[in-house]
Order: sequence, then C-alpha cells, then structure tokens
Amino acid sequence: AATFERRVLRRAAEHHYLRVRLELPDGGARPNAAQFKQLVVTALRELHGEVGAALPVDVLTYEEKTLSAILRVISSGLVKLWSALTLLSFYQNRRCAFRVLQTSPFLLALSGNSRELVL
Amino acid sequence: MVRFKNRYVLCEVVSEDPRCRQCIEDRTLGHAVRDAIARVHGDYGLACCSISFTVKYLNAYTGTVLLRCRKDSYRLLCSALPFVRYLENRAQRYPCFLNTLHVGGTVRTCQKFLIQYNRTQLLRLLQNCSNEEERQCIQKSLLSCSLTEEQSQSGDEEEDDGTE
Repeated sequence: AATFERRVLRRAAEHHYLRVRLELPDGGARPNAAQFKQLVVTALRELHGEVGAALPVDVLTYEEKTLSAILRVISSGLVKLWSALTLLSFYQNRRCAFRVLQTSPFLLALSGNSRELVL
Repeated sequence: MVRFKNRYVLCEVVSEDPRCRQCIEDRTLGHAVRDAIARVHGDYGLACCSISFTVKYLNAYTGTVLLRCRKDSYRLLCSALPFVRYLENRAQRYPCFLNTLHVGGTVRTCQKFLIQYNRTQLLRLLQNCSNEEERQCIQKSLLSCSLTEEQSQSGDEEEDDGTE
C-alpha cells in the first residue's frame, strides 16, 4: 500500500492579486494607467501615511474603458491596500468608489469568476 | 484579569538652538509628535496612537520627555519619533530631534532608568568640563546627591533633576 503525504503551506504566497473596478458615476475624463496608480498610492497615503504609500503595489493590467484593473501587492500589505481602497471616496473632486471583484494569492485564479457564470 | 497596558517612551529633546528650551511645552511637543505620526502612518496610525496618548512628564531644563501610548501602537509611535524635525511655538520654529532613551511598561521603571541615566550623564559632564569653575560646581552637586532615610525615592529623583 502506498503512503500518502499531504503538505499544507499556510500564508506561503508572496503576493496577493486583486481585481478591482473604479466606479465613476459621472461622465467626466477617465484616468489613464498612470493616474490610476497615482490614485491608489494617494489612497494609501491618506489612510496609512508615508509607510503605506511606500507599499510595493503594481498595476498589472488596466482597462480604461471599464476602469477595471488587476493589482498586485505584497501579502503583508493586503489589509492596508484593501482598507485604503475601501475608504477612498474622491477622485479630482468627483465622487468615486472602488469595488473589489476578486482576490486571490494566485494570479491564475483571477481568470475565472464563478459569479459571472452563465448556466 | 484584562486591563489596558501602556508603554511609556522616554526621550530627550536635542537641539542646537538654546532658545528651543523655552518653547518645550507639553502642548507643542504633543502636537509635533502627532503631526509626525499623521505624516508617517496616516489617519489610521494617528487614530491608533491617539487613544491613550499624553505627554506624561516634561523637563525643559534637561529636555527629558515621557510619552504614554497603548501597548498595541507603541511601535507606530517609536517609528514616527525620528520624523520630528522641529518644534513650533507661536510661529517660531526651532529645529531639534528626539533621542529615544528607554521604553518601559510603567512610570516607575522609566523613573529608575532616568535616575541611572542622569547619574552617568553627570559623570560624563564632569569629564568634559572645560574650566575649573564648572568642574567645582558639578563636583559639589554630585557630592550633594544623597539618599535620606525618609522619602528616599522622591528625594533621590528631585536631587537628580534639580542638579543639571
């Protein structure tokens, strides 16, 4: 009989990936990729100061049409980033909101979304 | 038994400007430290550290400051102290920096450390004396520090803080 071994690695992933969408209800100018990153860093700076603004956050993809992006952050900074995105409410004096659609420690898991399954 | 635990951070205000000593007050220092925490750790850090934040003890002659904060956020406070660059008082800015001497859990441990530290500082001042008068003055004040039987603890601390 073969012996099985199960290995469980907890909190071993280096980065966490977030798929977010920025909701800007009015039809004004849409931010481009650089302005989007500036917005994320500004949100971190407001809530968590210079230490938060120095968190290594990357915008992996950005679509200007739908204002959705995939962000990558170091695992220890996930709570700071998510709380900063939640509490950001203004972009250039216009009301806005961040919606977090998916999050996972693996980038591959963001490709499929069971919430948008068409049965 | 669950209780709120505090951390007491003992620091020293070091400044090249001699007029800075006059403007060391608990309110100005409290504002300066709070501004530094807000800049470095943002709204969340400021709110965390302000829960039980006070300037517990202040000695303008030696520049000794004792700050209190919650045990959960003392690291945020300690990491923001190097970012205090100046003290502002009535539209006058004096550049200075804070030197962290000791972090203790109670005022008593910080007091014990401060007494010990002041003793070593007095001896070091004696060695660095430039002329004979200062030497005589410091020697006299060192010799006059003595423990009396009653009020030994408060007497000891007063003697050490009174002699500069």
